[in-house]
Amino acid sequence: MKINLNVNGVTFPVDIEPDRSLSGVLRNEIGLTGTKEGCDDCECGACMVLLDGHPVNSCSYLAVQTDGRQVTTVEGLADADGLAPLQQAMLDAGGVQCGFCTPGMLMSATALLSENPEPTVEEIRIGLSGNLCRCTGYAKIIEAVGSDAPST
Amino acid sequence: MQQGSGTTKFVRADGPDKVTGSGRYAADMVLPGMLFAAFRYAEVSHARIVELDVEAARSMPGVLAVLTDDDVPDVRYGAGVADRTLFARGVVRFEGEVVAAVAATTPEAARSAADAIVFEYEELPAIVDVEQAIEPVSPLVHAGWEDYEASTERGHNVASYSSITLGDTDTALAAAHTVVTSRYVADASHAVPIEPRAVLAQWEGDKVTIWSSTQVPFDAQAGVCETLEMPANRVRVVVPHLGGGFGGKCGFHFEAHVAALARAARRPVKLVFTRREEFTAPDRRREGMVIELTSGLDADGRIVARTGEVLIDCGAYIADGAFFPQVASMHIAGPYSIPNVSIEASLVYTNHQPSGSVRAPTAPQGCWAVESHTDELAETVGLDPVEFRRLNAVREGATGPSGQVYGPIGLLDCIDAAVASASYGTDLAADEAVGVAVGWWPTFAVPSGAYVKINGDGSGQIITGAQECGTGSVMTLCQLAAEEVGLNPEDFQLVYQDTAAGPWDMGATGSQTLVNNGRAVVAASQQIADALKKLAADQLEASPDDIELLEGQARVVGTPAASIAIGELAAIAAGGELLLGHGSGPPPVAPEISATCVGDQGMAAWVAPQFSCHAIRVKVDRDTGVVRVLSVAAAHDSGTIINPMGAQGQVHGGVLMGIGQALSEGTVYDDRGNQMNPGLLEYKLQTIADAPPISIDFVGVAAPDGGPRGSKGIAEAPNVATAAAIANGIAKVVGARLTQLPMKPERVWEASSGAAEAGGR
Ligand code: FES
Ligand code: FES
Repeated sequence: MKINLNVNGVTFPVDIEPDRSLSGVLRNEIGLTGTKEGCDDCECGACMVLLDGHPVNSCSYLAVQTDGRQVTTVEGLADADGLAPLQQAMLDAGGVQCGFCTPGMLMSATALLSENPEPTVEEIRIGLSGNLCRCTGYAKIIEAVGSDAPST
Repeated sequence: MQQGSGTTKFVRADGPDKVTGSGRYAADMVLPGMLFAAFRYAEVSHARIVELDVEAARSMPGVLAVLTDDDVPDVRYGAGVADRTLFARGVVRFEGEVVAAVAATTPEAARSAADAIVFEYEELPAIVDVEQAIEPVSPLVHAGWEDYEASTERGHNVASYSSITLGDTDTALAAAHTVVTSRYVADASHAVPIEPRAVLAQWEGDKVTIWSSTQVPFDAQAGVCETLEMPANRVRVVVPHLGGGFGGKCGFHFEAHVAALARAARRPVKLVFTRREEFTAPDRRREGMVIELTSGLDADGRIVARTGEVLIDCGAYIADGAFFPQVASMHIAGPYSIPNVSIEASLVYTNHQPSGSVRAPTAPQGCWAVESHTDELAETVGLDPVEFRRLNAVREGATGPSGQVYGPIGLLDCIDAAVASASYGTDLAADEAVGVAVGWWPTFAVPSGAYVKINGDGSGQIITGAQECGTGSVMTLCQLAAEEVGLNPEDFQLVYQDTAAGPWDMGATGSQTLVNNGRAVVAASQQIADALKKLAADQLEASPDDIELLEGQARVVGTPAASIAIGELAAIAAGGELLLGHGSGPPPVAPEISATCVGDQGMAAWVAPQFSCHAIRVKVDRDTGVVRVLSVAAAHDSGTIINPMGAQGQVHGGVLMGIGQALSEGTVYDDRGNQMNPGLLEYKLQTIADAPPISIDFVGVAAPDGGPRGSKGIAEAPNVATAAAIANGIAKVVGARLTQLPMKPERVWEASSGAAEAGGR
């Protein structure tokens, strides 16, 4: 099946089987391996991407369903000027250890902050509850997402 | 409270890779002509192989190689006991045992071919209960065990046995004022790194390069060399970024299978595990344990004697478990001054997945048992649990349960700090309580090596065999090198986790990187510092002894105006004798002990022991058995803290893993030895919504026999005392002890309602 996949603002025409997952196509056909795969059951959130700005687990999303929609992956967060503030905040706070959950965390947090620029700790905990991290105990991730919120 | 001597700001050198998605992990790697691997597993936990026919699979389209035991060298391997082969031979002993391997042009073709292999078997009785397995009438997991090469103490279904004996427990127990006996059972659990493992192998001539998500590249290399009969200099293991391990990726696993497939297919081959495979196939699982212990107290509440018997579920193969019985015995003894000790422990073969080092093997379970028992002891003599621990805990100059006399240690400081942070003793609601537990863990003193060079432009490079698994310990090496040569950490780049580049290192295991590789990097950097001082002395017309290296400058001490930039010295060196350092440094020597140890694995004499006290506030719903952890106060003596942010991250992560082990993480088996919950839906990790606030105190007692600056390990210790402290909190609320780990809601509810009935509530 031929579709146009729009990823991070670039359109990629791809010819794929209809049962292919979005994460698989991103990683293999498009060559963007920042999106990770950590499970088989939609439980870990490592594969989180934004679809028209909303977070989805790309491992369980069919690539063909995204035809003509905007997909944002972790590779789309930084621009020519450097890291996005949230990426920098994650590094400054120490929210990155092995980094395998990090792309998914960043995507969920980006979605959260775009809807709610000043989340409370409780709101951060709800917003990121679909992303498992085995390394950090989440403490410094909460700190990073909180600190990225503009303080007033 | 000491918060570490190093800089507080720490941005890890691998951080930008990891936040932008540009960093490559093993599963991200692609090579031209690459094939995909799939394994055929036993899917039965104990059976005799009747037929294994791969002909149909071999002739399927896209299949380039199919391998079984017939296709690899006849080698039996295993640390302590050579009980393992790459592929099943005659008998399968656990459900995840690899029977055959396939390489094909697509993952789907490889899977179909693996499924098409004819594998017929006759099922044998599954040995799943450690207490039955050691009985002489029990069938054997390894019928031919007596012919295996071995260096452990063994017996009937026992892969490794150890005992620790100090003093005379019979006499001391007979004379004791009070004697208490307890029995505890811990279920198995899993490491669950978020990255499932991946291995990619490529041959060039008679040399193979293997990219693997291993925590221990040199161990993986050694396994390939042994099983494929190759010299070390033809096997290169490279680890791209590693997506966590927690012990689950220690040891030698599937690197040789993939290398053998790639050799047979004459193409690069990649293996990527599913989450289910990650749960069932590796020789790594946190061991289940059955623990019985008895303590005698004097009238004042001093522990005068302790006996114990521990059975550890080894699973089908020994993996790296040879030392588990001895380290478990030390945990059953606990960090207490007990003059009479007699503890024995056995690693018992079963038809479960093999156990292997997962973040402080045997320790959280052992600590949970002994610290539950400790609260029982305190209650028996009417002492507050904290007072009881203060009375019995080891301290400087005291003799521990293996007869080791301790130097400066901070266990008492940990107790004080944790109970203060938790406001222990203040009034709480009836459904809340603060449980307290103490724990300990050794520092592993092992060889390690590193090279350091300063380039002509003044930039530095550390070339090390050390492995980064996420903790930041390798990243911290830049800080150590920088401090020695007067540069900034950011001036250094790292070449690491590549067996062809760096000298030998044990890997990201045993919390050892900063202690041992740190020692090596300091030694290598000191050579460079000496060379820089000589160069500077020539330039500044001073003695090298009077030169200090600071802030990018070489300066004459006391005459700050007489200085030269280190970059300039590097340029001079580039035209003459290059600035190269290499270091290893002698590992600290194990302390003397006075206990008698049968089956000694060197785990009763602890170099730079780490101590901790956790005080954890829990809330228990007696009607549902649901436990919520409200807050954690963790106090650790991990020696001098070199990288505070990194160390805090280890405590946060270790505590949360400990909470999972306490409350939700337990592997459930059917009665034939098969896992019932090998997935993240059924095996519940703690989420961000479960994560409580964690306060951390590092009491910072510099260890004379530790690593650089008096440091100790840190990565494993934080989950040692976590389940134990939670258990003690739960027991206070429900008025009864939970005797099985994890303390799932149904178990809490059962204990709670049993206590309510007994108390007439
Ligand atoms: S890979 Fe785990 S949720 Fe998608
Ligand atoms: S940083 Fe390793 S899983 Fe989150």
